[in-house]
Formats: sequence, C-alpha cells, structure tokens
Amino acid sequence: MYRYDEFDHAFVSARVEQFKDQVERRLAGELTEDQFRPLRLMNGVYLQLHAYMLRVAIPYGTLSSRQMRKLAHIARHYDRGYGHFTTRQNLQYNWPALKDMPKVLDELASVEMHALQTSGNCIRNVTADHFAGAAADEVADPRPYAEILRQWSSMHPEFSYLPRKFKIAVTGAERDRAAIQVHDIGLHLKKNGAGELGFAVYVGGGQGRTPMVAKKIRDFLPVEDLLTYTTAIMRVYNLNGRRDNKYKARIKILVHETGTEELTRQVEAEWQVLKESDLKLPQKDVDAIDSYFRAPNLPLRPEGWSELAAARKADHSFSTWVDQNVTPHKNPDYGVITISLKPIGGIPGDATDAQMDLVADIAERFSQDEIRVSHEQNLVLPYVAIADLRIVYDLLLTDGLATANAGLITDIIACPGLDYCALANARSIPVAQRISERFGKAERQADIGELKIKISGCINACGHHHVGHIGILGVEKKGEELYQISLGGSGDEICTIGDITGRGFSSEEIVDAVETIVDRYLEIRTDKEETFLATYRRVGAAPFKDALYSEAANAA
Amino acid sequence: MSDISEKSAGELWGREGFREDPYITAPTLEEAADAPAVILPLTVWLGIEDDVRFATNRKIGVSVAPGENVEPLLALLDRIPLIALEFPAFNDGRSYSKAEMLKNQHQFKGELRAVGDVLVDQVAYMLRTGFDTLKVSHAVTLARLADHNLHDAPVYYQPGRGSHTAPGTYSWRRVPAA
Ligand code: HEM
Ligand code: SF4
Repeated sequence: MYRYDEFDHAFVSARVEQFKDQVERRLAGELTEDQFRPLRLMNGVYLQLHAYMLRVAIPYGTLSSRQMRKLAHIARHYDRGYGHFTTRQNLQYNWPALKDMPKVLDELASVEMHALQTSGNCIRNVTADHFAGAAADEVADPRPYAEILRQWSSMHPEFSYLPRKFKIAVTGAERDRAAIQVHDIGLHLKKNGAGELGFAVYVGGGQGRTPMVAKKIRDFLPVEDLLTYTTAIMRVYNLNGRRDNKYKARIKILVHETGTEELTRQVEAEWQVLKESDLKLPQKDVDAIDSYFRAPNLPLRPEGWSELAAARKADHSFSTWVDQNVTPHKNPDYGVITISLKPIGGIPGDATDAQMDLVADIAERFSQDEIRVSHEQNLVLPYVAIADLRIVYDLLLTDGLATANAGLITDIIACPGLDYCALANARSIPVAQRISERFGKAERQADIGELKIKISGCINACGHHHVGHIGILGVEKKGEELYQISLGGSGDEICTIGDITGRGFSSEEIVDAVETIVDRYLEIRTDKEETFLATYRRVGAAPFKDALYSEAANAA
Repeated sequence: MSDISEKSAGELWGREGFREDPYITAPTLEEAADAPAVILPLTVWLGIEDDVRFATNRKIGVSVAPGENVEPLLALLDRIPLIALEFPAFNDGRSYSKAEMLKNQHQFKGELRAVGDVLVDQVAYMLRTGFDTLKVSHAVTLARLADHNLHDAPVYYQPGRGSHTAPGTYSWRRVPAA
C-alpha cells in the first residue's frame, strides 16, 4: 500500500501544527465559533447534535494493521470506545473533546493519516472498489490512480472553494463495487483494443435531494491524461456550477441544465488547452505509485481446499459464512473476506476498540497486513489463504465479527440519523436494528438471497437510500417521523434510482411494510435464482404497491 | 463623486509587502475625472473606444465580477495593464480559475489583482493561481500579512506560480520558490 515519503510528512505535520494553533485560539476565546467553523471543517471537525465529531479520511478505504490499531487506540482514549465506519470509506468519532483534537490529529499523523478534505466544498477523499487488487474480475488495481488523485487534489489552490463538495470514485472491474455512477466523477479503469489502460469517464452522478445517474462523457481516456482531463472538468464546474442555491450547486445539476453534449464540448475545449501541460502524467510516475500497490507475493497453498471441504462438512455455520462472506481472489488458493459490521440487531458500521485491534491482529497474521473499509460499512481482509479460513473465522467469532450476512437483507446501510445528526428528520439506526432482528434467522436470510436495504434519516441521502434495492428515507410530516420506501434502486454497473412506492409509514409500521415487500417477492419470483432486484426489474412496482397499500387499506 | 471607492476599500499587498495603490476604482470613465490610473467594471471597459482604452498617458484596468466571463479580454491581454478579479464572498472560488486561465494559459503579463473578502488562509492559494496583488480589507488578514504570516504550506501537490519542481519526486509536486 502507499507509504508517505518526506514530502507527505512535511505536508501533514504542517497542517496539524496550524490546526493546533487554531484550536488554542478558539479555546482561548480569540476565535468565535463562526470564525473557527471554516477552519475546523477543513480539518474534518464537525459540530453535531451532542458533541464535536471527527471524520478521519481512509483514502480508498485501505488500511494497514498499524493504522487500524491507532484507530482503536484513539477510540479507547479519546472517544467512548468505538468508531463508526461510513459509506464514504471513512471513520467517524462521535465524542472526542475539542481540546483533544490536536492530539488526535498528531496520533493520526504518526501513522500517515489525517482528516483533511473530509468536509467543505473541496474534492473529498477519493473512494475505490474495496476489493481492489484482490478481486478475480479486476482489469487493474484502481488505487494507484485514486492515490494520484488524492495527492493532486490535496489543498488544491484552484479547487478548494467549489460551488459544493466533490466526490470522485474509481473502479477497475466491470462489476462496479464503488458506485461510480452516483459520484460527481466516476472513473472506470479498463483496457482498450490495444491493451492499453485508460478510463471511461462519468460525470454528474449524485444522491441527495435530486438523485441522478452519471453520464458517460468519454469512453476511453488514456492514463497519462488523468489529471489534465480531471482539471478540465473541475474548471468547467468551478466556473459554471450554480452558486445561488446550495441545493442546485452539485455538478449533477450543471450537467442536467447544460446538457451532456454541451458540457462534454466545454470540457473537451478546456482540455485542449491543458492536455500538454505540466499535469500530463509521465509513465515513470504512474509506475512508481503503482509499485506501492503491487500485489503481495502469495505462495500457492492448494492444501487449503481439502481442509476447507472437511471443515465445511463439520460445521454448518462456518460453511454458511464461507458461502456468504468469502469472494473469489485472483489467486485460486486465496479468498477475499468480508467482515460484517452488521451483527443481528447491532448498529451498522460501529466497531469497538477491541474489535478493531482484533481485526488488525488477524490482518497482520493472515492478510498481508492489509484491511479495507467498504462503502457498505463493512471491513474486508483482501488476502486470506483458503487454508486459513477456518482459523480466521474462529478468531472473528470471538468478538462477534463472523456474522454471515454479506449482501443479505440484514447487511443494512444506515446513516447516523437522528441519534447523532443535526440535519436528521428521523432515526435510522433503530429502524436498521429492528429490520435486522426481524429477518435475523440464517435460513430465512439465505432463502431471501441478495437484497440491499439502505436507510437515510433525511433527503441528504448519506445512507444511499436512492440506490437501495429497498430504500428507506426518514421524512417529517406534521411533527411525526415517517419513512418513505423506494424500490429497485441499484448502485452497481446497471445504476438505477429507486422508485418511491407512495405514502410513508410510521416507525411502528415500517418493519412490517418491509416484510410485506419481501413476502410478495418470495411469492412472485420465478425461482430462487431470481434476486429481488431482478424480480423488480421484471414485474415493476405494481405488485409491491398492491401488497403495501391494499393490505394496509384492508387492515384499516 | 461619493461612489468612487478610495483607498479605504482596503490596502494593497503584494509579495514584497504593502504598497501605495496608484489606481482608483470608478463606475465610469467620467466619474474618474482625470485620474492617471483607473479600474472600470468589465461592461463599461468593453464599451469604450480602443484609443481611449489603451491611451498611453493613463492606465485603464478592468474589474471582473465572479459571474462575468474573461473570454472577451483574451485577445487584448497584451494591452491591458491590470485585471482585477473580485471575491465578493470568501467562498466564491470562480476567480481562482480565471486567474489560472489568464496567467498560466494565456500568459497575461500585466497586474492581476484579487479584490474583496480575502481570508488569511486564501492568500497562498491566490498567489499560486497567479495573482500578483491583493486588495485586502479583512482586518485579521491585514494583521497577519503585516506579520508576514502567509499560512502557506511547506510543499505543494500541484504546479503553480511561485513554486518550482521538487527534484526526485513526482511530476505534479512542487516546493515554494525561496
Ligand atoms: C453526521 C453528520 C453528517 C452530516 C451533517 C452530513 C451532511 C450531508 C449533506 C448536507 C449531504 C447532501 C449534500 C448534497 O446533496 O449536496 C450529504 C450527502 C452525503 N453524505 Fe453525509 N452527512 C453526515 C454524515 C454522513 C455519514 C456518516 C456518511 C457515510 C455513512 C455520509 C455520506 C454521505 C453520502 C454518501 C452522501 C450522498 C452522496 C452525494 O453526495 O451525492 N454522510 N451529507
Ligand atoms: S442522511 Fe440526513 S440524517 Fe442521515 S447523516 Fe445524512 S444528513 Fe444526517
């Protein structure tokens, strides 16, 4: 993985020193909260319902064991013993004291981490496929390009006061696990006919109150043009994006109002000017960054397969977990493990300090010292030998980390909602917990199959509800918390925004409503192979609306 | 002549420190009377005759609001002594892109000036995108500039003015010019 050099260290420590000075001035009363606000936001410090919140950047979701241990240490000493992994592949601490923030940033800097660009109208932490470098279906590892983008966008003099925040995601496989089409810029790394690497470039996707699927503006952009072309897009957006209304300020609105063709023309025209500039990437620099991400040398361990077969036979729970949480690796004797942070009835994405330490230890021994954070709020061990699956499973089991539900109905994404967030209309976490309990039985989940439920506490859509197979949105109506349901959304390569079913449901009704939808799906699917999403795409919303509203009407 | 903003609108600062501002800002040429150096709004500036606009006995600069386009100036850059780009609010970043275009892509040789709500954390960004001078009114910023505290980073991850390539590392990285 990427390691800081002296240049990066100099940069981050200067930022920490500067923020220390600002916090001291704030604590001494020299700065008002108003004056302090833009300064703290630049350093990832938010003010929430109950306390300050610190958002730590985990670039493209990749962590070493040492970094994970540091996150555990911070949770233990400066927070209440846990942290919250988010859909942006970041980590949030909900309870640190302002006076401790400089110390926390120092601790982070000691393991090459920081909280920069996690808020504000700048280019945010760049995200990538959480299986990058390991997945069997990948063309090339997207992370070197995410790292180049991360560096180039850090404290960018031209693009730090954009109309609105800006999110870039990169993937290196046809199967899109990074939801690139709901990002401001989505980059799909692929090969052309000549076998050269480049990107399909998508622009103008986003969620929030006006969800939109991104438009492809270029089918193949050579790697050397990554920064010049991105600069051209950013400049067109910075100059023309709307600044009169913050709800219309994202690039998706500019693309929509300008038209894809005209916007593409503007970007290409700007790019003609920039194409041969200093930002054109020399292959040697790409190679140098790429070398940090070279796949580790994994020895073949074919003996694992017979061990696995025996262990599966002996233990049904283990076998279920392997089916559900282990994904094929590039190397046939290895697997990619998803560690579910969604225990039945638990808080999606929360991990205690002890759990973080445990994952760090396991990664050190069995996964080449590497951990990933997924945008589905789970953790990933990218390099585990089939021969080690059993022992890793047993270790995970010791602290409640072996829930076999990756991709199933209880693998729910939920935003912090009204329990923490100042903007929320409704609670998200308790709804997630109740749905998880309702569907918690292993057989039932397995029978239902792949089904992604995503919950946001307000229209900002931090919980990705627009792209949930079943999306749940907290709304407020006449002082009551209501939940609106949408169906058929999907954040993968066939990206769709879910359709709203109709009137919302109260907190008491919402879990029953989800069950009604699931039951209807089970009745009408052609067979077990037809997933919820496939069924929805075949039959549309009508049968589900029918079930939801005629039944509710009958009951009344 | 009450709407002519005199030096009270702020102090003029450049890399060498504070300096006298030879220009006045006026809404029209008439209002400027016979001031030897004047900055006019873009729409007004575009409307005057070339022989007046580029007269050799006085300097006429042009001020561009964030919502205005610099395109009409591009063909005339050789003859314009000063372009002022406005920052009516600190969070309106459009003028940074215009500075880049004017200075770095179109090689504008005259004075490029930032005018408006300049926060101290923005000064370094302005210099790097190509501004030569800042007309600063923000009290904290003025105090910090007087202390020579630019809140600058020790290293940069992007090319830009006032920096040179950092030898032995990646092509996009720079270090501040001493
Ligand atoms: C708790 C404090 C939080 C606040 C105040 C907050 C605020 C916001 C706002 C205002 C938006 C809408 C932006 C727009 O549409 O222009 C948004 C979008 C978003 N936020 Fe949050 N958020 C918070 C927490 C989170 C968390 C915990 C996550 C990750 C789990 C997250 C991830 C996202 C994502 C993925 C989007 C939508 C994607 C998009 O930008 O189009 N946010 N957030
Ligand atoms: S979706 Fe709304 S309630 Fe949930 S975290 Fe985002 S802003 Fe807060």
